[in-house]
Amino acid sequence: MSKLTVIVFAAAIFAQDAKQIVEESQRRHRSTTQQYEGVLQVFNPNGRNSEKRWQFFRSGNYGESRALLRFVSPREVKGVALLIVNHADRASDQWMWLPELQRDRRVALQDRSTRFFGTDFSYEDLEERDVNQSDFKLIGEEAADGQACWKIESTPKKGKSSQYNRVVMWIRKDIYFPVQYEMYAKNQLVRTLHYKRVEKVSGVWSALEMEMFDVKRKGRTVLKSDKLRYNIPLKDELFTLQSLRRGE
Amino acid sequence: MKLLKLISWQYVRKHLLRTVLTMAGIVLGVAVFVGMHTANQSVLSAFTKTVDRIAGATQLQITAGESGFDEEVLERVQALPNVRVAVPVIEAVVNLNLKSQGNILVLAVDMTGDRGLRDYDLEAGDDTVIEDPLVFIAQPDSLMVTREFATANGLVSNSKITLAAMDGPRTFTVRGIMKSSGLTSAFGGNLAIMDIYAAQKVFGRGRKFDRIDLAATEGTALPELQRQLSAMLGAGFEVESPSARGKQFEALSSVYGMLANITSLFALFIGMFIIYNSFAIAVTQRRSEIGIVRALGATRGQIQALFLTESAILGLIGASFGVLFGLLIASGISASLGNFLGEIYGVAQRAAEVSSDPRLLLGALLMGVVTSVIAAWIPARAAAGVDPVQALQKGRYQQLTKGENRLRRQIASALFVIVFFCLFFAQNRIIFYSGYFLTVIAGLLLVPTVALWLSKAIRPAMKFLRPVEGTLAADSLIQSPRRTSGAVSALALSIALVISLGGMARASYNSINEWMRIALNPDMFLTATQNITDRSFRFPASFGDEIRSIPGIRRMQLVRNARLLYKGNPVMVVSVEIDKLAAESFLPSVAGDSATMYRLAAEGKGFLISDNFAQLYGVKYNELLSINTPNGTLTLPVAGIVRDYSDQKGTVLIDRKMFIRYWNDDTINIVRLYLEKNITVPEMRARIEEKLAGKTRLFILTNQDLKSYIIKITDQWFGLTYIQLAVAVLVAILGIINTLTVSITDRRRELGVLQAVGALRGQVRRTIWLEAIAIGIIGLAIGLAFGCVALYYSLEMAARDISGLRLDYTYPWSMAAGLFPVIVGAALIAALGPAEQAVRGNLVEALEYE
Repeated sequence: MSKLTVIVFAAAIFAQDAKQIVEESQRRHRSTTQQYEGVLQVFNPNGRNSEKRWQFFRSGNYGESRALLRFVSPREVKGVALLIVNHADRASDQWMWLPELQRDRRVALQDRSTRFFGTDFSYEDLEERDVNQSDFKLIGEEAADGQACWKIESTPKKGKSSQYNRVVMWIRKDIYFPVQYEMYAKNQLVRTLHYKRVEKVSGVWSALEMEMFDVKRKGRTVLKSDKLRYNIPLKDELFTLQSLRRGE
Repeated sequence: MKLLKLISWQYVRKHLLRTVLTMAGIVLGVAVFVGMHTANQSVLSAFTKTVDRIAGATQLQITAGESGFDEEVLERVQALPNVRVAVPVIEAVVNLNLKSQGNILVLAVDMTGDRGLRDYDLEAGDDTVIEDPLVFIAQPDSLMVTREFATANGLVSNSKITLAAMDGPRTFTVRGIMKSSGLTSAFGGNLAIMDIYAAQKVFGRGRKFDRIDLAATEGTALPELQRQLSAMLGAGFEVESPSARGKQFEALSSVYGMLANITSLFALFIGMFIIYNSFAIAVTQRRSEIGIVRALGATRGQIQALFLTESAILGLIGASFGVLFGLLIASGISASLGNFLGEIYGVAQRAAEVSSDPRLLLGALLMGVVTSVIAAWIPARAAAGVDPVQALQKGRYQQLTKGENRLRRQIASALFVIVFFCLFFAQNRIIFYSGYFLTVIAGLLLVPTVALWLSKAIRPAMKFLRPVEGTLAADSLIQSPRRTSGAVSALALSIALVISLGGMARASYNSINEWMRIALNPDMFLTATQNITDRSFRFPASFGDEIRSIPGIRRMQLVRNARLLYKGNPVMVVSVEIDKLAAESFLPSVAGDSATMYRLAAEGKGFLISDNFAQLYGVKYNELLSINTPNGTLTLPVAGIVRDYSDQKGTVLIDRKMFIRYWNDDTINIVRLYLEKNITVPEMRARIEEKLAGKTRLFILTNQDLKSYIIKITDQWFGLTYIQLAVAVLVAILGIINTLTVSITDRRRELGVLQAVGALRGQVRRTIWLEAIAIGIIGLAIGLAFGCVALYYSLEMAARDISGLRLDYTYPWSMAAGLFPVIVGAALIAALGPAEQAVRGNLVEALEYE
């Protein structure tokens, strides 16, 4: 066995390991349903900040789930709802309900790099991506928030589109939980995402706070979860266009 | 160069006034050319800039004419793998009723995806809504405006603006003010952005979009994507780059461009005669100088080059002034042209700045120089032919010989014979225009002869009126036909232009009045827009039912018209309930039996097309005509050709059922109402207002209102052509002044002798005045005759290449009669200055003059 073959073989084992780590991470934190009340705070670089509150419901397997997000405040957006249908093999479908117009509209998600309603998240950041849509590589071990982590790089598989050419993630070794992401577009760092207040809720490790930082515009968005619950009974009908239209 | 300095410069300095007058034709011709074309270009450029700036990163745009298309088309387009982003758009020009702001362009987009194509750079807004598309979308009263618009109207974040929506007046909230950028400068800064789904409601679009803007994924070949989209969507959809929209707008304003060309060419043509005249006289006057220079060894070529260079310089200076003057007037013309295009075609455009094309300006300079050189060609050749010996002998003026005149008559006769045969083959465009051109040449060749005949004919009358002055004036004309013929030709051409335009106007008014009498016979019209050619707002189909329920209506016709592309030309499709239309009146038939054609069209078995559509696109009766629709190509036979003046680009009438079926569009532009005998128009207006006031956007027009509006548009159209008349008459008057100035200089010695032997200053003055009046009358007589022919060709040109409208030949006798005092008065005014110049000169110098 030549030296080169050994290196290639070792790299393949490392690659497999990285994917297994990510798969295990997803498996451990999987839930059949999820519900929480969220607070979304946008801190703009010009100092003008905004806050929105919503109710969130999710059902189904990771990568193929359905989610409903209904805004409760401020007054201007109260009743606006978003239905997200994730697909394992393609980008999600999204519909929005506008109570003032009394109609639903399909959200054009073709340009997934666009900011999600003025926050520092892009539409793509909100998607649940199946593990098979990316290649993973363990690039080292590094502590994050004082915890030992695997540092894993993911790159989109050939034919899978993404605004990021690579994403580096830190996954805690003790609980297989991702705590930090760095997103690169054309090899330039564009966003960082930190998972904070990591706690076990209903037996599932969860981050009760997420902070996204947009490197270019220097804006930051914090998403806080409250009244988080997992694996509670949620009707399938809740995640339909009819339900969206009814404003349930 | 030396000769130029030695001879030409000295002459120009001595005859500065005449030089200026000679240039005037070029100045005006070039000014009109530059002014009108720059205005046209400015409006076009403003439109293109608006399109470009609104397009942002858009690479392709999908449209289906004005009718728009269903929302589901967007999903099909978005599903294509090569499409990076595809977003829907609705565009509408709305009058905001804000003081001195006129119209605003409302661009309605889907903000969730649109930021991938356009950058809405906000600079102000409420804390909760700043850069927040969610609030913008969630609140259907959201509006973003430009910084320029906000400043002009004192708007700040959360200011309210009232828009007349389809369901009545609605208050909108300014939820964003865009920083100055490329996008915000679109439509002269009068731009507002709103949510597309709110716009569907506001503008009565139902669940339709006007357009899809899209960008391809990286590495996609655009032509390939264009083909793919066209194949997927079918022939009823246009898939073009944003710049292609400029071409459609250009097609609409092409009539105006043609008018600009005709006006300026006419002015230059007339100016050419003035230059010719001046140079011909200059050569005669400078014969002795030419003789001396020739005797000193100058060649014929050098003399000819001298005069041609002189004319080129004159042309260049005149054209330069013309360019400056043209740019000055362009701003005013572009403003009126913008409004005018909005009134006629419903595509309002604001030209905030004058945009001049260097190529146009260079072309105008070249045109001025070339015109001047051509005009000076014959005099320059004559100068080169001057015999040095004869030239140095005093008193040997060149006169127009009988032989020369005979040759001109012979050539003119031969040309008339050719013109006569051209009439038989006038279907061919080249032969037709050649015939026109040869008619003009033949006519101009005959001018000196006819002018001489007329001078002799009016001599007795002039002698009778003023025995001394009249005789002197008439003899001056008879003895120097070359001096007079240029001015007479210029004047005759101007008069011919006036007559042809006057005849066209008269014929147009007659035809339009007759058409209005037949086609616009309902008692009332209901529209959703203030301007009947604007189709930004439309009634929903249910509006018809609401109106129908009002008692007192005998018949109601629902109309939906939309501009669509036919073979790349923006034509008008008018859908109407044809059976109901036929029950009230038939449009005059040009081809086909009225009853049959209306029956076939009502059954959806044929199209009715307007005469101008048939003319412009070569479509014949009974031929199959294919119109692309969002649901495929609709091919039907032409069941009939009718006289219809609805649109200058041609009209296709189809039954409303067919339109709904093929365009999926049941909205209504206009409701035509016929009332019961027992109800008056004001009573019905009151009933409609009572039922619908505040519920819907509604404009009620009486029969007379609509007719007045159409006449107003026609007036505007001819208002533009009247610029031609003013320019033509002005150039002709300048020609008379020039001729008289030359005549006085020419006859300085003669006039000096007259005064020396006791003629009074008043007699000399009257002689000049009478000469001017005689030139005016001769020019008028020839022009009126020439106008008969010019009118025929103008009507033919209008039918063939401008609007396709066939107008009846009616000679404008009243206008011809009105021209007599105008021209005589103008000639008299033109003579005032030269007459004073004649009597105030130094007598001794005058007697020395040769």
